[in-house]
Amino acid sequence: MAENRELRGTVEAELDPVEYTLRKRLPNRLPRRPNDIYVNMKTDFKAQLARCQKLLDGGARGQNACSEIYIHGLGLAINRAINIALQLQAGSFGSLQVAANTSTVELADELEPETDAREPLTRIRNNSAIHIRVFRVTPK
Amino acid sequence: MRNQPTNVTLSSGFVADRGVKHHNGGGKPFQAQKQEPHPGTSRQWQTRVNPHSLPDPDVNEQSSSKMMFRKKGGWKAGPEGTSQEIPKYITASTFAQARAAEISAMLKAVTQKSSNSLVFQTLPRHMRRRAMSHNVKRLPRRLQEIAQKEAEKAVHQKKEHSKNKCHKARRCHMNRTLEFNRRQKKNIWLETHIWHAKRFHMVKKWGYCLGERPTVKSHRACYRAMTNRCLLQDLSYYCCLELKGKEEEILKALSGMCSIDTGLTFAAVHCLSGKRQGSLVLYRANKYPREMLGPVTFIWKSQRTPGHTSESRQLWIWLHPTLKQAILEEIKAVCQCVEPIKSVACITDPLLTPSQGKSQTELPDEKIGKKRKRKDDEESAKPIKRIIGDGTRDPSLPYSWISPVTGIIISDLTMEMNRFRLIGPLSHSILTEAIKAASVHTVGEDTEETPHHWWIETCKNPDSVSLHYRQEAVFELLGGITSPAQIPAGTILGLTVGDPRINLPPKKSKALPNPEKCQDNEKVRQLLLEGVPVECTHSFIWNQDICKSVTENKISDQDLNRMRSELLVPGSQLILGPHESKIPILLIQQPGKVTGEDRLGWGSGWDVLLPKGWGMAFWIPFIYRGARVGGLKESAVHYQYKRSPSVPGDFPDCPAGMLFAEEQANNLLEKYKRRPPAKRPNYVKLGTLAPFFCPWEQLTQDWELRGQAHEEPSVASSPNGKESDLRSEMPCALMPKKTPQPSDEVGTSLDHPRKAEEVMDTGCQEPVGPESITDQEASENHVAATGSQLCVLRSRKLLKQLSAWCGPSSEDSRAAWRAPGRAQQGLTREACLSILGHFPRALVWVSLSLLSKGSPEPHTMICIPAKEDFLQLRKDWHYCGPQESKHSDPFKSKILKQKEKKKREKRQKLGHTSSDGLAGEEPMAGQEALTLGLWSGRLPRVTLHCSRTLLGFVTQGDFSMAVGCGEALGFVSLTGLLDMLSSQPGAQRGLVLLRPPASLQYRFARIAIEV
Repeated sequence: MAENRELRGTVEAELDPVEYTLRKRLPNRLPRRPNDIYVNMKTDFKAQLARCQKLLDGGARGQNACSEIYIHGLGLAINRAINIALQLQAGSFGSLQVAANTSTVELADELEPETDAREPLTRIRNNSAIHIRVFRVTPK
Repeated sequence: MRNQPTNVTLSSGFVADRGVKHHNGGGKPFQAQKQEPHPGTSRQWQTRVNPHSLPDPDVNEQSSSKMMFRKKGGWKAGPEGTSQEIPKYITASTFAQARAAEISAMLKAVTQKSSNSLVFQTLPRHMRRRAMSHNVKRLPRRLQEIAQKEAEKAVHQKKEHSKNKCHKARRCHMNRTLEFNRRQKKNIWLETHIWHAKRFHMVKKWGYCLGERPTVKSHRACYRAMTNRCLLQDLSYYCCLELKGKEEEILKALSGMCSIDTGLTFAAVHCLSGKRQGSLVLYRANKYPREMLGPVTFIWKSQRTPGHTSESRQLWIWLHPTLKQAILEEIKAVCQCVEPIKSVACITDPLLTPSQGKSQTELPDEKIGKKRKRKDDEESAKPIKRIIGDGTRDPSLPYSWISPVTGIIISDLTMEMNRFRLIGPLSHSILTEAIKAASVHTVGEDTEETPHHWWIETCKNPDSVSLHYRQEAVFELLGGITSPAQIPAGTILGLTVGDPRINLPPKKSKALPNPEKCQDNEKVRQLLLEGVPVECTHSFIWNQDICKSVTENKISDQDLNRMRSELLVPGSQLILGPHESKIPILLIQQPGKVTGEDRLGWGSGWDVLLPKGWGMAFWIPFIYRGARVGGLKESAVHYQYKRSPSVPGDFPDCPAGMLFAEEQANNLLEKYKRRPPAKRPNYVKLGTLAPFFCPWEQLTQDWELRGQAHEEPSVASSPNGKESDLRSEMPCALMPKKTPQPSDEVGTSLDHPRKAEEVMDTGCQEPVGPESITDQEASENHVAATGSQLCVLRSRKLLKQLSAWCGPSSEDSRAAWRAPGRAQQGLTREACLSILGHFPRALVWVSLSLLSKGSPEPHTMICIPAKEDFLQLRKDWHYCGPQESKHSDPFKSKILKQKEKKKREKRQKLGHTSSDGLAGEEPMAGQEALTLGLWSGRLPRVTLHCSRTLLGFVTQGDFSMAVGCGEALGFVSLTGLLDMLSSQPGAQRGLVLLRPPASLQYRFARIAIEV
């Protein structure tokens, strides 16, 4: 669920689709800490929001609560990641702050040949990503 | 008080004595019932009853007898109680004699018990003692004798030990090995068999004993392991065929068996170089698209000196054991390999001849590993024999053949290697932790007495050493990659590793990815982009000599443990130095789900190829690093969630697939028949014609006829007329098909004659138009050429086109964007006809996901929704689907009649001679197959049997934990699919109905074709 696969480029424009089939590979990712949330476009928005909220709130008596969480969004899911972060902040009565970072992620596309004589190709394409740190501040 | 006399018979003397005067009373023997707690009560009852039944004038005497009975009580009063009159006098001697007989009978009865229970079980609770059954002396003394007898009897009754040896002797190593060898004569064990047998439900399949599923409840845990952690499987039962020879010769020979239509062939550049594993579907030579043999994967050995065309190449073809016989025969035929290689002299290949194998067995210092290996050597050909039933084949038959013409050598390497499969993202961490690259020998080390000469030789060559270091470096990089799906599909990495048992952790642990390793550096990036360099795919596992020596020089577990125990510091690392075994292995990346849109890369992992004998040495370290083991069921789940067809069940057009379907049908039928008729579904009433198998042939035939029928109304009139009285709904369901393309008449009529011929030949059993029957003979030649038998559509081009058509038309623009060249072709009648012309009877592999509720099961029917279903669905989003109305069961009355007849005959048979009975049995034999609840005899037209037209069947289906709804995989008729798609309006295109065999409820599902 961590990956967002709504990745579109203009890769195919130059390639003859009769000769190659495009296979998108998963984006490279780091091992996940418990407080990392990768937002995707498939899971219900409310569910993802609730998941973040739960991480911040912790258990019934506030045990295991994370003081900060990281929300990652890639490509199309950037919007949603921002939306989730802002919703969290709005619902916290000022106890949560956000800090956003943007980055570029390299994605690999495999081009599978349709004919025996061709080598498979791999292309790199870039996509933007956002990493939002949502953290608790002591209320004034 | 249960040890009572059951049966006390008065001695004849007494009876005779009394019988003289009173024949009604004491004359009959008195029976005391066992259940009666006191003898007295029965007497009381009798005394009370008797007055009524026996009119007796002497009431006074009777009452006095009662009195007397009460006074005396006990059994002594018995005889008097039964008689109504008190004798006037008693002869003392006879009376005493009779009493004595009675007493002796009673004593006898007391000593022998009558009930089924043991003596100590008859004791009242308060008298019972612990371990009474074990120790006779704990019983009351009076019962000890009986208990003693019982105990002796129990010893005799105990089953004789099947072995004549004592337990200790049986556990003795040699005997155990012999016993194990005996037990795997029929079905070969894998090297991990004993480990599996302790933890798995084992099944005997395909000539092997395989673990089916773990005994622990672990369905979900195994799924999680595949998704988030690592699942381990032993696939050593897969068969490997080796082809050796010149590259052009091999390619030329095999080119007839595969088609570029279905994807890349053996000649694909990246596979040919040895860089990647390839996979393809094999056909009988030059028979594509019919006579499929089965799917295989293959790897070429990389060339040491690229560009050297004269070099002999090695090709390994890995396949499922059920497919082996057919494919081996075909490859032998195309390579013209006819001459079996008997002796080792003519080839360098160190094939173990049977005589050698046997001489090994006589060696006294056999180790268990060796023993079993030797077994494998001899019986490597057995699985084939078992599967196809070539029972005449001797184990000593050759498994290597050479062709005098092409010079290709084919050898059967089944069971020569172990193949373990690791699935899941943590497989990298597990691999890198469990396996360490072998240490390189330095020149200074004394290497005289080590058995690993091949490695020492290798280490002398600086090129090989540098290659080894490069391989090691690449392997170490894997630890920093979080999922195998990030690596190019089918990447091969060769490696030489040290003994994995040496650095076995003392406790089972969980390997976790190390974030420090996961640094984004240039090397990792290069690995991800380009895969493993070609040179690094080299492995010594390709060399049979080295493999053999590695297998033979394995340090046994016992020795290793002894050495470990002799360590100065307990628990410290064991350092064997040059004596440590070096094992050549091959790692092959298995791409997970590559087709479709969602869950890309799910179920990806690595296959590890090991030389034989080393199975357990690698198995345990993998498990100690946190791999969970799955069996056949887990691999079925893996296939299902990957949405790929599983071998051999999902290949209905190959011989193994047909055999599998047959066996499955038989098993299911057996299981069904074991239930009482009232406790099992009546499939006739449910309208399920074939609950246990999928009648593909009939389905495609029917669809061919239908396609024919409504293209040409004149021909259609006769079959449709017959149908319409069966199902009035039919015509209206077909009508809308015409409306979208009113101008198609020209194309269809032009196309019709050719199609008609094809249709009629095979559909001759079906009700067909009169004029087409006349055509039949004329068309026979033509059809023989095209060969209109069942086939599965595997042409990538057509599948891509179909895939684009299957989606709802709102998404068409997206699909068109994705594949601009192909999707431009609209879904027109002409396009359909051109496809159908080539594949009149084809099936298409589809995946189905349910819209709302429902979990499909195998043999679920895929049906075309009617118009009103769509109307309902549009009205109400939560509409589940239509219901099938109950069918009538025409067989029930027949079965009842049969039963009655049987009864009557039985009665007749009793009365008459046996010849009559035989004559009556004649019709019975024919109807024997009638089972309540199953359709018997020839199936009617399968497509029209229910209210919704049948399109295909599901072969794998379940609730999918990966998607969170029911998912199914199956085949639909190509003709039917095109027919359905062209008739459906854009927004609802690709919606079908699913109905399980034991349900009347249809459910909506979306159809998708993933290429």
